Amino acid sequence: MKKRIVITGLGTLNAIANNVPDFTKALQVGVCGIEKIDLFDTTGFRSQTGGQIKNFTPRDYIPQKFSVERMSRADKLALAATVEALRDAGLYPLPEKLKDETGVAIGGGAGGLLESEEFYRDYLENNGKNAKFSTLASLFCASSADRIASAFELSGPKSTFMTACSGGGTALGYARDLIISGHASMMIAGGVEPMSRLTFAAFNALKSVDPETCRPFDKDRAGLSLGEAAAIMVLESLDSALERGAKIYGEVLGYGITCDSFHMTAPDEKASGAIRSMQAALKDSGLSLEDIDYVNAHGTATPVNDVTETKAIKEVFGKRAYAIPVSSTKSMHAHTLGASGALEGIVSVLALNQGFIPPTVNHREADPLCDLDYVTSGSRKADLRAVLSNSFAFGGNNTTLIFGRYSGRGVARE
Amino acid sequence: MNNDRQTDNAQRVVVTGIGMVTPLGIGKLEFGRRLFAGETGIAEITFFDTSSLPSHLGAEVKNFRPRDFISAKNMRRMDKISLMAAASARLALEDAGFQITTENRDRVGIVLGTAFGATDITAQFLQTLFSGGPAAVNPILVPNTVMNAAAGHTSIELGFRGVNTTVTHYAVSAENAIAYAAAEIRRGTADFIFAGGADILSEFYYMSLTKFKALSPQNKNEEACRPFDKKRNGMIVGEGCGIICLESFQSATDRGRKPYCEITGAGMGSSPTKPNQWPQNPEGIKTTFNRALKNADTSIDNIQAIFAAANGDITLDAVEAETYAEIFDEEKRPSITSIKGATGESFSSGGIRACALALSMEKNILPPTIGLTNPLRPLEFVAGEKKELAIDTAALAGISFGGTYTYLIFGK
Repeated sequence: MKKRIVITGLGTLNAIANNVPDFTKALQVGVCGIEKIDLFDTTGFRSQTGGQIKNFTPRDYIPQKFSVERMSRADKLALAATVEALRDAGLYPLPEKLKDETGVAIGGGAGGLLESEEFYRDYLENNGKNAKFSTLASLFCASSADRIASAFELSGPKSTFMTACSGGGTALGYARDLIISGHASMMIAGGVEPMSRLTFAAFNALKSVDPETCRPFDKDRAGLSLGEAAAIMVLESLDSALERGAKIYGEVLGYGITCDSFHMTAPDEKASGAIRSMQAALKDSGLSLEDIDYVNAHGTATPVNDVTETKAIKEVFGKRAYAIPVSSTKSMHAHTLGASGALEGIVSVLALNQGFIPPTVNHREADPLCDLDYVTSGSRKADLRAVLSNSFAFGGNNTTLIFGRYSGRGVARE
Repeated sequence: MNNDRQTDNAQRVVVTGIGMVTPLGIGKLEFGRRLFAGETGIAEITFFDTSSLPSHLGAEVKNFRPRDFISAKNMRRMDKISLMAAASARLALEDAGFQITTENRDRVGIVLGTAFGATDITAQFLQTLFSGGPAAVNPILVPNTVMNAAAGHTSIELGFRGVNTTVTHYAVSAENAIAYAAAEIRRGTADFIFAGGADILSEFYYMSLTKFKALSPQNKNEEACRPFDKKRNGMIVGEGCGIICLESFQSATDRGRKPYCEITGAGMGSSPTKPNQWPQNPEGIKTTFNRALKNADTSIDNIQAIFAAANGDITLDAVEAETYAEIFDEEKRPSITSIKGATGESFSSGGIRACALALSMEKNILPPTIGLTNPLRPLEFVAGEKKELAIDTAALAGISFGGTYTYLIFGK
């Protein structure tokens, strides 16, 4: 029998909360964190808003014993969320004996692009005469995983996934499989995506951002809102969690990954990749369609995504699609790209654990083409058994994860 | 009994195709011929002006004609790294001897490693943003600024609709990609996965590496790539793509294909290291190598050849050599070769090196370490010229700055 992999720690910073307890409350209340961005100058862009993390003072989250020298905003966010997740898992400080077989898998994003822009600018304008090496030290997205592993002196596997908007989900699925196959006994897994001018310029140039606030599944939706986040989970085998008496948030039950092979930035209108991704995760989980009680949608609020995803959910679930609540929490924390699969993984786990369905906020008018139950008037209490979470990306990458409620010894809720 | 064996064979992952676009050549015939003849792809950089920089050498891919491999319709949208990846994957597909059909395409995937992605496009994109502001940004460039663009374009060009992901972890990007792909074949989520690595040389990237003081020449010596040599003084950067086709042994047998070799195990690990620095001691490498051996259910005494990570860097080569000196008995030392004196350091070099390893196991020949004349330690280096050796078990070493390691074990 396949090893059961459970979630024993959570950590996040995002546009609506800087820790997990606040995040749970914000999701239940339906807070929208999409506001004017002040991290950089947005003059001249189609949109001036986004899901920026507020009041982030790294030292409030990262203990003094960890150096943050030359760390990018991404690295600091990732380390801060890791500290929270390990504390939550009862693993801070991390016991010596666990360091050997604990690894890190991160869905990466813009990395240190925000900080290294000066280097680029100098290179492009002065041929690199004044460029400072130090601004490049944390440029790349793999830096965050390196920083986490070094800070906690880990000897386990380390990898970074860059599949644009599905990287965070892939990192979680990959981490689960590394524990199942015995390559690691515990994984720090998730995603980190900082805001950067380059990313902002790219999505604005494609006109895929809503000039105001994103409205997933709304008739007048006009695009996504960009956000930033760090989202980290601690994963381990059920045996390991029970042995150390850890509280258990839930299980990673299924993981599916496919490719559209259709277009770099547009989803396949037949939704084949999305359909196969959900089906692959369902097959992997061994669950039936009847077992899924909530779909945490990719739900970017671009005109095409929301129709295509709706179509895919109907194709996969048939008539049951109309009975399953579907929501896009991107309406609250915005689209956090490389972190989104992991952040929405945390949303799914909290929903399972606390027994609620987070809403799709900002929804005003129904779109006849989006005719499912999108939970548009506030969060709902619900006894959930399993949650399916989708992440679809540029490049045609699709990742679906299925999380299940754990109801045995050590359950976190209570 | 028979059923058990079939299950085993479904769990065994073999290499049945290789494809590459490298400074040594494009396709396995030219690549293999030049590799085993001891030729090098390192020369003066011609793509851009290096006169204001401290380094001038590189391993550039020349004579690459994308239209020989890629449809005109898709080619228009593809950048250099995507073209190299798609061409390499097509070569590996042809070498593996099957076709993509509507029946099998959902079970064919790609897992690509890239250390730095499309550095040319990123620089170009930022140039337009900085010089002309938001209005000047060219949306056509955007899809190629994401690091998974090469795998995405390759899937569109070749019709792969199964498992698809892009791994980026500096110098172990390709090794991690191959390990992940092998695990997915074992998990049964795909019938074929194309796995490897791609990175390109761009002006911005080259300049950045000189700023990192990563390239030869260091210590005022002559600029050259000398893996494991006493006089080594830094790496020479290269580019290219190498992709291998993985499937289960059961699948290869059913198709009547003789594999190049089998991937029998993988080990992955880390050690605390300063950002962007090569490991300062062998501990992490040793742990990882042992994990790979254990995973492959073999012992260190069985390792006959190592395709090393050494690239001429002062620290990396010393630490890697120290590891092998410590873990192998003097009488049982394997043959060690680094092909980076021929291909340069492309960081996601594990793809190209896996192709070289597959050819070596097929032909029973190890390629020489170009640039090595005075070994820094008395190990069994393959230097000077190729070495004939029947190889049953070999290791591919992945070592990255930042303290990340992946070792892959290959069997006959």
